[in-house]
Amino acid sequence: MRDVAVVGLGMHAWGKFPDKSVTGMMREATEAALKDAGIGWRDIEAVSAASSRFSGGKGWGLNGNDIVEEMGSTGVPVYNLSAGCAAGANAFNVGYMMVAGGMHDMVLVVGGEKMPKGFIQTSGVEDEYDPEYLRQVCVGIPGPSFWGIMCRQRMAEHGTTEEQLAKIAVKAHKNSVHNPYARFNKEFSMEDVLGSAMVSYPLRLYEICPVSDGAAAVVICSAEKAKQLTTKPVWVAGSSVATNSFNDGITRGLAGPIPPGGKTFHSEAASAVRQAMEGAGVTQKEVDFIELQDNTVYYELCFPEEWGFWEPGQAEHELESGNTTPTGSLPINPSGGFLSFGEATTAQGIFQICELATQLRGAGGGRQVPEAKVGLGQTLGLGGNAAAVVLKR
Amino acid sequence: MADRIPVVANLFAETPAGPRLTGSRCTACGSGYLPKSDVCHNPACDGAKTEDAEFGPSGTVWSLAIQDYPPPAPVKFDQPYTPYAMGFIDLDDGLRVLGRIDTDDPRSIEPGIRVEMVIGALAHDEEGNEITGWKFKPV
Repeated sequence: MRDVAVVGLGMHAWGKFPDKSVTGMMREATEAALKDAGIGWRDIEAVSAASSRFSGGKGWGLNGNDIVEEMGSTGVPVYNLSAGCAAGANAFNVGYMMVAGGMHDMVLVVGGEKMPKGFIQTSGVEDEYDPEYLRQVCVGIPGPSFWGIMCRQRMAEHGTTEEQLAKIAVKAHKNSVHNPYARFNKEFSMEDVLGSAMVSYPLRLYEICPVSDGAAAVVICSAEKAKQLTTKPVWVAGSSVATNSFNDGITRGLAGPIPPGGKTFHSEAASAVRQAMEGAGVTQKEVDFIELQDNTVYYELCFPEEWGFWEPGQAEHELESGNTTPTGSLPINPSGGFLSFGEATTAQGIFQICELATQLRGAGGGRQVPEAKVGLGQTLGLGGNAAAVVLKR
Repeated sequence: MADRIPVVANLFAETPAGPRLTGSRCTACGSGYLPKSDVCHNPACDGAKTEDAEFGPSGTVWSLAIQDYPPPAPVKFDQPYTPYAMGFIDLDDGLRVLGRIDTDDPRSIEPGIRVEMVIGALAHDEEGNEITGWKFKPV
């Protein structure tokens, strides 16, 4: 396997852009990434793209083909990846393997999404063989209620308070003030968060991420090419994709096994993170900061514990001690996270790569993690998909 | 006269012994399935057969949440909207199942309480028929 470098970063702002197409937003992100890398479109040898579910892609998730047509049809191979909200990071993993495996020297990874208003719905097809349809029509468990169930279990087990949940949102928005790409880049007070509408008890509106429009792109290349382009490349130390295990305690359809010992959750995320860290040869102590999928504040408590960074039940103490802020012992989501960006579902994994690399370049401004050398990113998607990446400078 | 119509057929039934979920179980490893599965999905199991099995009625609430705002389609509900509780229920016969909690006071329900399955209305259609599903009633 060859070393792979991240040499170009491109972000479109996150928000609502009714006058732009998803392809146009991806083009802006791609042009920014090419410029940042110091290369032109004709230097790109292959494209790995996240398939948007909600916009563009000719209705078939062919967003990679849309961006190639938009930039100029050079005939390059295009890979369109679908993995729910993990699609961006899955696409990154495929791009990484193409460069690491010696198939291509210079690859574009891109994702963009324009989300419909309101809470994410099922496909709309009334198919009684579709487990997701059955969950909704038989019981009615939209995303925020699923997160609420998980969060309530933690509250019962570890005594997490509603104030602690709110503190995570306050921390996220404090970071977002320093991120020009965030949709909500302003501070929220405890009163703002605790006063926001209860969406699914115990979770309030400002404790879950909204849906957004957004697009991001990165250029990755071989070490040889990277040395021609920059003296300070960011390296892909580990990149992995995983799916959940059979005995995972999170019921994916209507019913499932009760896990032995009761404590196997998010097995796909834990597996992806473990493999990315093993690939990178780093331990938890060597990871300087994490960008994780905070669809809800709860994930910031459970994930670091499930990945071996903290002991079970330690997260609330770490939060209260300020250890998850950019200057703390384990900064989490210095970007402001999904809570501040909103979720442009399939673009999220690539936005995380951009933030990890920005931090490792020391270009994080007011949200910079001091002396950041190793960063971990993680996404999770419907269907039991997860992806993780470790970047190093 | 108004009828009772199951929200989806063949997932639950009023049996002589009371309300039950109607699924299947692997004859080798005992893994339970709802809806029915003809094959076992446990990668550690080499069993080739499943048989029809009933699940319920007793279990424990593993955890729950309250749907405080009206949910998007295809969830069915009556107007005016009333928040409902739903959660993962660990049935005594070894299946973790998703279900609504049958209560007028969702805020009073704590994880860990004992519940029993009932068949009740999720909503009503335009003709006044009851659209039924399974729920879990605190005992």
